[in-house]
Amino acid sequence: MSHVDPEQLAGLALDPDDAPVDVREHAATCPECAGLVAAFTGVRRRAGAEELVAPPAALRAQVLAEVRSGGSEAVPEPVRSESTPRRGVPLWLAGVAAALALLAGVGIGRLAADPAESPEAVEQPSGTVVAATPLTALDSDAERGEASAVQTDDTFTIRVNASELGDEPGVHEVWLINVDGKRMISIGLLAPGDKGEFAVPMDLIDEGYRIVDISAEPDDGDPTHSGVSIARGELA
Amino acid sequence: MTIIPFPAREPRRYGGPVVTEAMAFEDEQDDAVRSLAARLVAGEEAALEEVYDRWSALVHTYALRALRDSHDAEDVTQQVFVAAWRSRHTLTPSPSALPAWLVGIARHKIADARAARAREADRLAAVVSLPGARDDTVRAADEEIAERLVVRQAVEDLPDPRRTIVFLAFWEERSHAEIAEKVGLPLGTVKSHVRRGLMKLHQQLEGVRHESR
Repeated sequence: MSHVDPEQLAGLALDPDDAPVDVREHAATCPECAGLVAAFTGVRRRAGAEELVAPPAALRAQVLAEVRSGGSEAVPEPVRSESTPRRGVPLWLAGVAAALALLAGVGIGRLAADPAESPEAVEQPSGTVVAATPLTALDSDAERGEASAVQTDDTFTIRVNASELGDEPGVHEVWLINVDGKRMISIGLLAPGDKGEFAVPMDLIDEGYRIVDISAEPDDGDPTHSGVSIARGELA
Repeated sequence: MTIIPFPAREPRRYGGPVVTEAMAFEDEQDDAVRSLAARLVAGEEAALEEVYDRWSALVHTYALRALRDSHDAEDVTQQVFVAAWRSRHTLTPSPSALPAWLVGIARHKIADARAARAREADRLAAVVSLPGARDDTVRAADEEIAERLVVRQAVEDLPDPRRTIVFLAFWEERSHAEIAEKVGLPLGTVKSHVRRGLMKLHQQLEGVRHESR
């Protein structure tokens, strides 16, 4: 049976007598809807707090003064891929490669990456690495593996070799985030072992989708990003 | 160039036959909060000022209710916003992430302030060290305070007439019929505003629960 519209459940939480019989009956037998009713009731119970009290006006200036005097040394910058000597290829080259591939008429194919393949086999693919990045945790510089963009003939692949992703429940999903901070796209799920290869249209990189993000996704049927990012790096 | 945030999960879409103006307004608000967070992460000082103006009362009231000392509450408020600025790169923008994040930082600063007091008290040999169960009780009480204040803030953020209607219903405990008469709207409209208001408060509170841990 399909669930009840949450607005009806809100009505039920506010006044059980006012709710239609079918809504009440459904909520009585459906744990999910009953849970939402209970949550709404809990929110209603938390209403009634007194008005918020603003801090003294002078505090604002103190905060800003401390921020300004504190300088930026206290801000740990995220690891920059360009500061790490590795096989990364400069962005302009990625652009060139992308442009060439576009001229050649890229087909969007998926590189044969059998999930049952041994990790060793994944580590020895052919192709040219056109960009790479270390992956790090978001709240520290802790290493979380690496990602690279690889071109093989007419296929463009994001290769992810992640590690230490922690034990958040759910699956690990790989996203490309646009550097404009407004767009993101899912490119697939990491197999157990946290390695994977994902064929993507080459022009995505050119459009700015260069930030590789790995999220922990609960099994909730929601296709959007969970908001829980466990590793990130910008391809360069 | 620093690693930038991503456009976070859309707020939960509740079904319903009518897309009201209020909902469109809420969407705009969500977008505004998200872009404010992105500006903060990017290191824009003006964004910190906006964040302060919007949430300092929430943080301050939380510290005040938890610590019951105006001087300590001001200290904590200052610490929270300075810490927020310094650790801004850890923020992942989403509509409830900013208040959730600030509440999370405040929770830690309040605990620190309490620990400092306890150390002081120890030095004075005025009290024995508190048993762990007491700490849990204190923590639970802190969270209850935070949640009630987040609900209060969420009501303040509702667009009118929903804000007024929810306030009359939940704070003044008026009946729907009384509210309908007072604000001059049909009973069904009032009910819908109360229900949708409750859903929005729930959404904000869930966001804080999820993201401030």
